[in-house]
Amino acid sequence: MTAPHNDLSVIAPVAAIALNAFRETVRDRIIYALIFFAAIVTVLGIVLGSLSVGQDIRILKDIGLAAISFIGGIIAVFAGTNLVYKELERRTIYIIFSKPVSGWQFVLGKYIGLCLCVFVMVVAMGAFLAIIVTALSGSFAGASFFDQIKEITQELSLIYLELLFVTALATFFSTFSTPVLSVLFTLAIWLAGHLGESLLELGKLTQNPFVAQILSIIFYCLPDFAGLTRIRGHLLYGTHPGTEVLTYLVTYVLAYVLMLLVLAAIVTERKEFA
Amino acid sequence: MADVVIQTTNLSKELTSSLLRRKVRILSGLNLSVAKGETFGLIGPNGAGKTTSIKLMLGLMRATEGKAEILGMPAGDKRALAQVGYLPENPYFYSHLTGREFLDFAGQLFGLGSRERKDRSKELIETVSLAEAADMQMRKYSKGMLQRLGIAQSLINRPAVIFWDEPMSGLDPIGRRDIRQILFGLKEKGTTIFFNSHLLPDVNEVCDRVGVINKGRLIVQEEVKNISAGGSYKDLEDFFLEVINKSESESNARTDQMAAITPEKEAAKPVKSEEEAKP
Repeated sequence: MTAPHNDLSVIAPVAAIALNAFRETVRDRIIYALIFFAAIVTVLGIVLGSLSVGQDIRILKDIGLAAISFIGGIIAVFAGTNLVYKELERRTIYIIFSKPVSGWQFVLGKYIGLCLCVFVMVVAMGAFLAIIVTALSGSFAGASFFDQIKEITQELSLIYLELLFVTALATFFSTFSTPVLSVLFTLAIWLAGHLGESLLELGKLTQNPFVAQILSIIFYCLPDFAGLTRIRGHLLYGTHPGTEVLTYLVTYVLAYVLMLLVLAAIVTERKEFA
Repeated sequence: MADVVIQTTNLSKELTSSLLRRKVRILSGLNLSVAKGETFGLIGPNGAGKTTSIKLMLGLMRATEGKAEILGMPAGDKRALAQVGYLPENPYFYSHLTGREFLDFAGQLFGLGSRERKDRSKELIETVSLAEAADMQMRKYSKGMLQRLGIAQSLINRPAVIFWDEPMSGLDPIGRRDIRQILFGLKEKGTTIFFNSHLLPDVNEVCDRVGVINKGRLIVQEEVKNISAGGSYKDLEDFFLEVINKSESESNARTDQMAAITPEKEAAKPVKSEEEAKP
């Protein structure tokens, strides 16, 4: 009569929740975002091809990658902030927590599922961009083709790294806040993370050591998205930032993600489902 | 009493209303034991504390006072939950999944293997008569179909104990008959069953024992076979109405007495119903 409660059951609920979150996001008309992206890139390709001389590929690539970052971010923010809230709203959370599932398994599963969805979207949009860029540059083979693909892949990896972060932020806020507030918090921190260095500049301008100190503390607490953007800029212009810098950035992002997920798990564990 | 499977001791719950930060007691000192293989029905008016009792036993809510144990383990213990099947009241499931996918999901949460999940899902889909709708997305399910699927998911792990909150809700007479058959089958296998229901004829037919709860207090527990056998009551409904009326009169008299002794503060602490107290 008793159910198996073996070692597998530690991983199985995480996998089940991840797969369910992935299915939910993918089946929630997310494909429209992909069509929207394809339309932007195709129209830009045609317009830029007729307007600019020589720089059309560079501009197309810049705008295409920015669109991937933006659309991926929108998916991460809106799907992420709804993930936990929807479970509470629809009361499906009872089904999960009346089974041998812990708060951390729930949060991790949700996060992995959404990251998987964002990954698929980023890869699909990146592949489309690569096809358009290759078609317009006319280089289907040889070193130039591989350089294009390598450059786009490196850029996409950094974009995805940033989106991992945004997804973790959205997941964290969704454990204790309404979707509207979670979206606002996530977007605010995402934006502030990009403008973080301005805080240091502002501190210098005030010439007040106390204010400067406070602003520098805020700067160090905020995620440093500007660093990621800087490195993407280097890559776009063919300069490799160095393995040490990349390793530092990956570790930094993963540590931040881990911290957010641990906090989200603690909040979920303490929650009551009235 | 034989092996005790469900036990609550002075189980109480207070909620804080969000507006005035006032504490409201929605369950007071619930003491009950359910033995292995027994079918226990908790009956009471809307907002009496039935759903809260189940949520506290499963660890979905935390008790303010007292404790609940399932299979000798504290409420919410994962080892106990691995042997529990739960059907929430008015179940809402994932509309993007098909019935079969949902059962597979429920099986995965219990750590069941792929083969077992597949076989068990197939078997349960047949049991709750959902074979034709099994591969349809749940957004197209009727309330009755969702209820049947909810019952199926609560049995995916072959539980030793089941908690069903209003299992007959939304079902037509045929559905109710089917669920009663499932309950009888589970009883035969020795499953311990705890359920809440408003449908007293079903409770009468299925339960070994009932408890009547009103305004967060368990008023009485009685063996179903003794209710009409004594001759005092015509049937379970008669018993239920009598008990509730008596409880209401006593409660009103108590409030009047308290108001007379302590005109202001003390009298203003009634036990609220679950629905009134929801923050």
